[in-house]
Amino acid sequence: MTSSSAPAGEATTAARPRPVRRAAGDLPFTFADRDLALALASERAEPDWLQDDRVAAWQAFDAMPVESNQLYTPYVDLRAAVLDRIQPWIQTASGPEAGTITDLPDDVDALIEVREDRVVGLALSPAATAAGVVLETFGAALTRDPDGFRADIEGGGTLPADDKLAQLVRGFWSQGVRVVIPDGVHLVRPIVVRWRSGNPGRAMLTRTLVHLGAGAQATLVEEQLPSGADVDCAEGETVPQGFFHGTTEVILEADARLAAASIQDLGERQVAFQHRHARIGNGASLHWAMAQLGGRLVRSRVDNRLEGDRSSVEQVEIVFGTGEQLFDLTSYTRHLGRDTTGNLLSKGALSDRSRVYMKGLITIEKSAVGTDSYLGEFGMNLSRAARAVAIPSLEIDQPDCRRAMHSSSVGPIDSNQLFYLESRGISPDDARKFIVLGFLEPVVARVPLEAAQVRLRELLEAKWAAGMAGTAPGAAGAAA
Amino acid sequence: MTSSQTRELVADRREQYAFHDDIAYLRETKRGLTRETVEEISAIKAEPDWMLQSRLRAYDHFLKRPMPMWTDGLDKIDFDKIVYYRKPSEREEKSWDDVPDQIKATFERLGIPEAERKFLAGVGAQYDSEVVYHSVKEELSKLGVVFMGTDQALKEYPEIFRKHYGTVVPHEDNKFSALNGAVWSGGSFVYVPKGVEVPLPLQAYFRINGENTGQFERTLIVVEEGAMVHYIEGCTAPIYATDSLHVAVVEVVALPGSKVRYTTIQNWSNDVYNLVTKRAHAHTNAKVEWIDANTGSRKTVKFPSIYLRGEGASADIISVAVAGKGQHQDTGAKAIHLAPNTTSRIVSKSVSKDGGRATYRGHLKVSPGATGVVASVRCDALMLDDESRSDTYPYIDIQEDDTTMTHEATVGKISAEQIFYLMSRGLTENEAQNLVIQGFLEVFTKELPMEYAIEFNRLVKLEMEGSLG
Repeated sequence: MTSSSAPAGEATTAARPRPVRRAAGDLPFTFADRDLALALASERAEPDWLQDDRVAAWQAFDAMPVESNQLYTPYVDLRAAVLDRIQPWIQTASGPEAGTITDLPDDVDALIEVREDRVVGLALSPAATAAGVVLETFGAALTRDPDGFRADIEGGGTLPADDKLAQLVRGFWSQGVRVVIPDGVHLVRPIVVRWRSGNPGRAMLTRTLVHLGAGAQATLVEEQLPSGADVDCAEGETVPQGFFHGTTEVILEADARLAAASIQDLGERQVAFQHRHARIGNGASLHWAMAQLGGRLVRSRVDNRLEGDRSSVEQVEIVFGTGEQLFDLTSYTRHLGRDTTGNLLSKGALSDRSRVYMKGLITIEKSAVGTDSYLGEFGMNLSRAARAVAIPSLEIDQPDCRRAMHSSSVGPIDSNQLFYLESRGISPDDARKFIVLGFLEPVVARVPLEAAQVRLRELLEAKWAAGMAGTAPGAAGAAA
Repeated sequence: MTSSQTRELVADRREQYAFHDDIAYLRETKRGLTRETVEEISAIKAEPDWMLQSRLRAYDHFLKRPMPMWTDGLDKIDFDKIVYYRKPSEREEKSWDDVPDQIKATFERLGIPEAERKFLAGVGAQYDSEVVYHSVKEELSKLGVVFMGTDQALKEYPEIFRKHYGTVVPHEDNKFSALNGAVWSGGSFVYVPKGVEVPLPLQAYFRINGENTGQFERTLIVVEEGAMVHYIEGCTAPIYATDSLHVAVVEVVALPGSKVRYTTIQNWSNDVYNLVTKRAHAHTNAKVEWIDANTGSRKTVKFPSIYLRGEGASADIISVAVAGKGQHQDTGAKAIHLAPNTTSRIVSKSVSKDGGRATYRGHLKVSPGATGVVASVRCDALMLDDESRSDTYPYIDIQEDDTTMTHEATVGKISAEQIFYLMSRGLTENEAQNLVIQGFLEVFTKELPMEYAIEFNRLVKLEMEGSLG
């Protein structure tokens, strides 16, 4: 349908120009081409293998649809993203040398902060430095450890090959952060990786590579935050959206343990794509705790590859949606080794017209004898217009499993819980708040850094206060 | 437990019912599908013009519509090899004695007359593309219950037929509903007048005969306000070397306060592609139940659906699939809640063995405005050996804030502890396994009338029950 076929009456009432009508699965931008891949490589004086890797990624990107999994094609909706004139960052800095920023908080062992196209802070504690822990930009890694870096990322093995958007970031990243924990090192305090993005009209494509050697242990806190206050435009004009696309690529060697927490609180005009991909070796374990609060449209994919025998993954993810937010969350858990364990839980609380798609697929390969796998997807709709979609799926080639199950539920706030709290003298608004925040608390409690945990609770409370207060049925000023 | 023991345990008994009679077909279309084929079918049947136009509209849509990609293997169907219409006998028979001997022999081997004598209210048996035998117990006729071939109903009850035909499953619904709309032939028509409760199940047998015969039956069931009916269909088909195609459309209209139960036992031979669109509209306070078992076919794609259109309507779907060697059962259920205070329950059980693949695919949707919905989905899968595969793909789309929805799925094998326990009580290993599988499928078998459950045993290839008496 062309825009000229719109009824005449509609044209006169349209105060602002509508975006060109797109299919739900069409990409909202066009910047990704071969020239850009080459420009990024040449701007950064990248070696040939890396330039070739970008071009190979572009080719894969170019050949695929946005959603290659036929299970999910009805649940792709990128229409809220208006990025047709978005420009990616091309220039990048290799970043300051480790140690140039000295204000490392007491409770962390390493910190890097990247704002748009600049590394604004990078610091390692003396203990971490002494243990051989590395926190560096991709640029620095190319100089310091070219072979190790190449072994980690060449060929795209730390990202899903069948995902167009993963190939997008592989081909067109402008910022990269690499974390290396040597064999046997137990880092007590977390490593913080902070991304600040939100420049209108700008695309920020980033990668984070985390490699834990055999027996290493570490915790990681990843923050995706606005780069500045919201921009206001003159009346009648629309502030362009910004675009953030980040990866967390994890390699866990034998018996390594990683706890990774992520707090996404980007601005309300931000479109965010996320890819998390983990290769989990023999006896290794990974804990994900992810909180999604911000963004206009968030599309996230997690790939857990349980390659090693006795490897395990635990994943908890929460979403608190307000306004028109759309969260499109997919997780793939692939059991390959023997006696592997997967335990995944997604929870969404949705108000206003917000939506969540919770798509999860557990695959148990023939080799995965003795698998124990669980996937839970739970939605709480707080308003009439909110929408939760749960698609928990199982694909099983090996029946010799300890457990393979999923469960899901979608419902309103439990009226019995409300009644109980109100009977104890708590106001309806507060009761609703307690129940919703309590519903999300299991993820908050798993954030490994105390300070981040406290801040996440504050963010959730603030978001509640901004969007939800006074919406209890019967409360003054009840919203539709 | 070794897989060879498993195979022995659930031995394939289909050969017993796989036979092929050489029938001299009186009339058949050329292989392949063209506009002329569609016109010819309509002309043979001397249909009214609106039906010809409807067929042609469906044909156009069939050509336009791409092949679904979300399930695999459909691209192996060669539509040009199929004979779309075959007529084994000139007219519908009133009495069993008039049915041609050869066809009668086939049915006798399937046990239809006993079934009728003993229990059933009526039998409509479909031999290839036309209904050749039909009877409805006299008392039902008196009540105004209509149970006849769909072609006959188009002629004898044109108003009821036209009012409801294509309203539940429009031709444009999917590629195969379009194909059925273009070439449909035969099937059952059931009409139950207001307030009438049909005391016994109505039963129809469907069989495919003739290599490469497509069978495209169209079933339409209209149940008026406050009426009640139970309809049962079961299928067997001879085994052939090349692929057969079965593309049916079933439409059920359950008007306010009515109660409809539709039971299917599908046991097509292993070369049949069974692609069926079956859907019911449940109006205010109506209750619709699909009891659906799939044991045969090479590939079945079938998701009995209930659209809950009126307040207080309820849906109950029990779907059972057994996938053996070379089979893919892509089955499941859909409950679409469009009205307030509607309820649905979906229970799915699948067993895969000898390299078979069982897929549950379901859709539970609660549309805006459908407040107070209560829904549950339960899927369990049992895998009997290492070569088999089981998938579960439920779609749950909730757009109301006061929906109560729960979903659970489990996949596993027979637990060694259960077998051990039963064997310690004196059962052999085979008996123990049988008992576990029987218990696993009981949610289905207990919904069948007892006589029909016995028939089920004879028709279904699995020896899952009975060995323990």
